[in-house]
Amino acid sequence: MRPSIAVLIFLASLFSRTTHATDWGSNWSVSGFGTFGAAGTDSNALGFHRDRFEQQDVTRGWGITTDSRLGVQIDTDITQRLHATVQFVARDHVGNFWEQNLEWAFLRWMPSDTLSIRLGRVGADVFVLSDYRNVGFTYPWMRPPHEFYGALPIYHLDGIDLSQKFNFQNNLLTAKLFVGHTDTQMPADPVPASEITPASTASVITIDAPSIGANLVYETSNWRLRLGYAFMHLLKGIDTQPLADILTNPLTNIFIPNIGSVAPHLAIQNTDLHYYSLGAHYDDGDWLAQTEASYTNTQTVFFPDTFNSYVSLGRRFAKVTAYALYGIAYSFDHPVSIPEPVIDNPLVHQLHQFVDTTINHNGIHEQSVSLGLRWDVLPKVALKTQWTHYWFGTNGTRLWQTPANTQLPDETNLWSVGVDFIF
Amino acid sequence: MKNLIFGLCLLLIPLSLSAEIVVIGNLNSPVNNLSKREVQDIFLGRTRALPNGNFVLPLDLVELRSNFYLLLTNRPIEQIDAYWARIMFSGQNTPPINLPDEQAMLKTIAENTGAIGYMDKRKINEKLVRVLLILE
Repeated sequence: MRPSIAVLIFLASLFSRTTHATDWGSNWSVSGFGTFGAAGTDSNALGFHRDRFEQQDVTRGWGITTDSRLGVQIDTDITQRLHATVQFVARDHVGNFWEQNLEWAFLRWMPSDTLSIRLGRVGADVFVLSDYRNVGFTYPWMRPPHEFYGALPIYHLDGIDLSQKFNFQNNLLTAKLFVGHTDTQMPADPVPASEITPASTASVITIDAPSIGANLVYETSNWRLRLGYAFMHLLKGIDTQPLADILTNPLTNIFIPNIGSVAPHLAIQNTDLHYYSLGAHYDDGDWLAQTEASYTNTQTVFFPDTFNSYVSLGRRFAKVTAYALYGIAYSFDHPVSIPEPVIDNPLVHQLHQFVDTTINHNGIHEQSVSLGLRWDVLPKVALKTQWTHYWFGTNGTRLWQTPANTQLPDETNLWSVGVDFIF
Repeated sequence: MKNLIFGLCLLLIPLSLSAEIVVIGNLNSPVNNLSKREVQDIFLGRTRALPNGNFVLPLDLVELRSNFYLLLTNRPIEQIDAYWARIMFSGQNTPPINLPDEQAMLKTIAENTGAIGYMDKRKINEKLVRVLLILE
């Protein structure tokens, strides 16, 4: 049902306005953006990906999938007050390539100069960069700060948003409300381990969640300040029932007494997530600075309560921008003690370890420092390079892809080069 | 030091910058002049209406674009492009329409009451368009 709304709006925008050209040109516009980037680390164990929905990671062997993408946007004015936008972004995404990567497909109605209402597939405008994370040309870094944006794989909602602008002595205050539903697909790691939970062999999970949120943005000529809140209710997530069934099975409880008591910790269905965020952006033409902080409050061990933040400072020298970035993500873990097995059997030990990993190893303890350069080499083309050094705490690599049963390093470097363009 | 860098940057900008750029509108529009702030709001997409409430149709002139935005906002064109990429690809608004030459500019403004554009002061025809602001 929901994808079909997006498709309907896409078709409506295609056919509602045949190429009716006025004297100043067509009402249609096709534009786009892209990044071609390569990145590599100095670790074989830790795989970097910038979003949790990406299928591929990059390690010592380098790779181009994590940052490379190509977006195309079609805009059309149906009337002076009614506008349609469709955007598709080709990028590495598990699940349904066409449906998941259809980023926007909405009708925008502006009943007045200050009020805008959008209906269809719209941006999940949770943080400062939420709506333009894909467009590398709009920011100095190689990619949005990993500690902050790496944890939030939701880009769009099927629903409605409403934004109202207010003018205050030449400054602009925008209040926005959104309500919708997301169906974001993610790799099932680390839960599948199909040898233990035979029923859940699917490698893709769907975050199926209604969401509602609001934000306030205050803009002066150099400053942009932002305050936001978002709420998500997870209707469906990881299917943990097969594992819970194994844990509550009387036979299992003979081998591992009382293991059934941890089954409730596997709950993810019908849990709530709350995002609270604060952000500030400064750009006077020479200096640019940006910072954000957020707190995520949850009810599931799979996404523990987390504090995320970053601070960035940059300086432009004509067409070259040099910048430094510090990021931190810290989850507040509440370890659950898993009863020990009473028999010495490899399969039972494996189950015990799997339950422990599933419940207790979702922590995010990550900090990083980056240094980088952006060079606006041609109009609408920027070259970038960035070095990042990451530090991890114990049980802190949840934003990375990690092989099972491997000793993980507590530091790693990531090098990246890329080109961003718009057209 | 800052002045020296700025001076060096100025040397790199073509001499055409010294020409005055005028912001122009339709003769039948009730708007007789605009402040620099109002022109900024229109060309940065912060408003879609003229001070009298009518819809505005902002127009860019390809060859003068860099100079115009530098005079209007004091920012180089790559920063303006990055700004518009953010606004546009987040689906908030669409940038001004790009016109290829002065003839297209004069014609479009003469035919659309809400059109606002700009041009080299020496090339305007005051029988067709009205000067709303002089940028120096």
